[in-house]
Amino acid sequence: MRRLLAMLRNGWVPLMWLLLLLVAVFSMDQFEGFFRQIEPDARAVIYQRSSFAQLLGKHLLIVGAASLVSVIVGVAAGILATRRWGRDFLPLVSQVASIGQTFPPVAVLALAVPLLGFGSLPTIFALVLYGLLPVLRNTLAGLQDVSPTVIEAARGIGMSPLQSLFKVELPLASVVILAGIRTSVTVAIATAAIGSTIGASTLGDPVIAGLVNGNTAYVLQGAILIGLLAVLIDSLFECVQQWFAVRQGRAQ
Amino acid sequence: MESPRSTPNRVVLTLVCIVLAVLLLADFASVQANRIVPGQGLGLFKALGSVWASGLIAGLLAIAALAWRPNPLRYRLMLALVVLLLCQLPLSLAWFIHLHIADDQPYARAGIAAGGWTLLFIGSLLLIECRQRMQPAPFWWRAAPLGLVLISAWLIYSGDLAALSLLREYSSRRSEFWQALAGHLSLVGGALLGSLIIGLLLAWLTLRVPRLQRPIFGLLNFFQTIPSLALFGLLIAPLSYLANKYPVLQGLGIHGIGWAPAIIALVAYSLLPVVRNTSVALSGVAPAVIESAHGMGMSSWQVLRQVRVPLALPVIIEGIRITTIQAIGLVAVAALIGASGFGSFIFQGLGQGAMDLVLLGALPTIFLALLADALFSALARHCQPGVRA
Repeated sequence: MRRLLAMLRNGWVPLMWLLLLLVAVFSMDQFEGFFRQIEPDARAVIYQRSSFAQLLGKHLLIVGAASLVSVIVGVAAGILATRRWGRDFLPLVSQVASIGQTFPPVAVLALAVPLLGFGSLPTIFALVLYGLLPVLRNTLAGLQDVSPTVIEAARGIGMSPLQSLFKVELPLASVVILAGIRTSVTVAIATAAIGSTIGASTLGDPVIAGLVNGNTAYVLQGAILIGLLAVLIDSLFECVQQWFAVRQGRAQ
Repeated sequence: MESPRSTPNRVVLTLVCIVLAVLLLADFASVQANRIVPGQGLGLFKALGSVWASGLIAGLLAIAALAWRPNPLRYRLMLALVVLLLCQLPLSLAWFIHLHIADDQPYARAGIAAGGWTLLFIGSLLLIECRQRMQPAPFWWRAAPLGLVLISAWLIYSGDLAALSLLREYSSRRSEFWQALAGHLSLVGGALLGSLIIGLLLAWLTLRVPRLQRPIFGLLNFFQTIPSLALFGLLIAPLSYLANKYPVLQGLGIHGIGWAPAIIALVAYSLLPVVRNTSVALSGVAPAVIESAHGMGMSSWQVLRQVRVPLALPVIIEGIRITTIQAIGLVAVAALIGASGFGSFIFQGLGQGAMDLVLLGALPTIFLALLADALFSALARHCQPGVRA
């Protein structure tokens, strides 16, 4: 009961952002008067080319697909590089994971175009490539932080290496890995918005269209939606992370 | 890890296999009759001639052979070969241009294809791997990045690489390029300066008044969460409103678009790493150290200046490093709202479908970020207490 209350207490923040996002997506028309004040001379002040709900869905789809691949590949690579037969690759992989993060996301996005052309696919590719690194880096850090005595103890009570991995090491590393996933998703949401410039249809569309046509109202609509989405997802992660931390604190 | 000398270095072997496969199967470089027609790709042997290509393959095989039973001496040789491999890259491009593009073809351009990029990428990975295996790494591993840059610079200067698509693109917008560099650097510098001034003040505040820690970090975290495109977009309307209302601001060059929203957003993003690292570093100095400094009769100010700051400096510089790298990438995005920088080439190129122009914007951006990373990492190492002689 107390846990339920605690979850509700933490849960109201994402709920509030979700509500705001839904209001913004479905009733942007209601605020026409406000946007008209910003762009008194424009023909239209509410972005029409596509509905906001559609753009939000596509944005989430791109971020979701890219993040899913990033997490699977990143965690898998992190696990492989810390096993006995993959350990040779550990120094290189961890160096690449940290050097790769110096590459600006926009540059990665732009370089995906000569490889894959315009559209959603190069955007997803760039997001995966870039989103992989924080997940990989934190998986490595989390798994390496597990003290050898704990692993020894797991072996001692008769666990196989796989059991030790899934029942001991990964749960202990989960908080750190989750932090990496949070970084990865945050960057993905931001970079997907810029993906509009390479032909992906996302919430960045109204912003880019507004910038090109000099329509500040469009820019504002896109920016508000992108901002709300990012804050919502971030607050969800905050909740999950707290929940994990509480669970882990109880286990210890 | 029982005896690394006797077991093969599987990492190097894997990398060499990958690069050999790509070199033999994919195009190394390409030629284009002019900017518009599609390029024609050439494999390694066609591109460089059989002598150069065989030499390259032999070098890679030699690296693999040395990796089979590595020992410290063989790692040294391997590193030397990797340095050579990376340094010959610009030379091989110049050779390629010499072979395939005649001087009387002012519109023909040479491009680097999958093979060339892979060679650069895997070569860098080999360098990192060799460096990691030799502890301490000999100082001359730096010859590879340095040689790569210097030889490229020399060949660009002498005109031997002039037919490279990137340089053709550069030569048609020479002044714009240097303006973009100046714009990029001044925006990054301005953001850095602003965030340092405000950030150090805020960090000092969090240490003085611990009660403010939560709200300050909450706010800065919130800024970091907002995607760059959204923050830029959100700043345009209020800034243009202000600029319209107060013409003084327009006189200062502040408009809804341009450098003003860019620098405000950049400072907002840059604050978190600066404040967090400074605050953590200053409060992380062991109480015993401060106690003993007080015991020696130092005043609070002296303790801050002579003990706390020097001990905390590497961590603070790390914060500045993160800030700078982040800002270099964000300035590129800020081109969308009319700020000057390499981003304008990227987005112009994307708009025209001119990939060489995209490269002309993206590669310098990446180069700047790597350079900032190297510089600040070196600075942090230099400031590590006890390292200085």
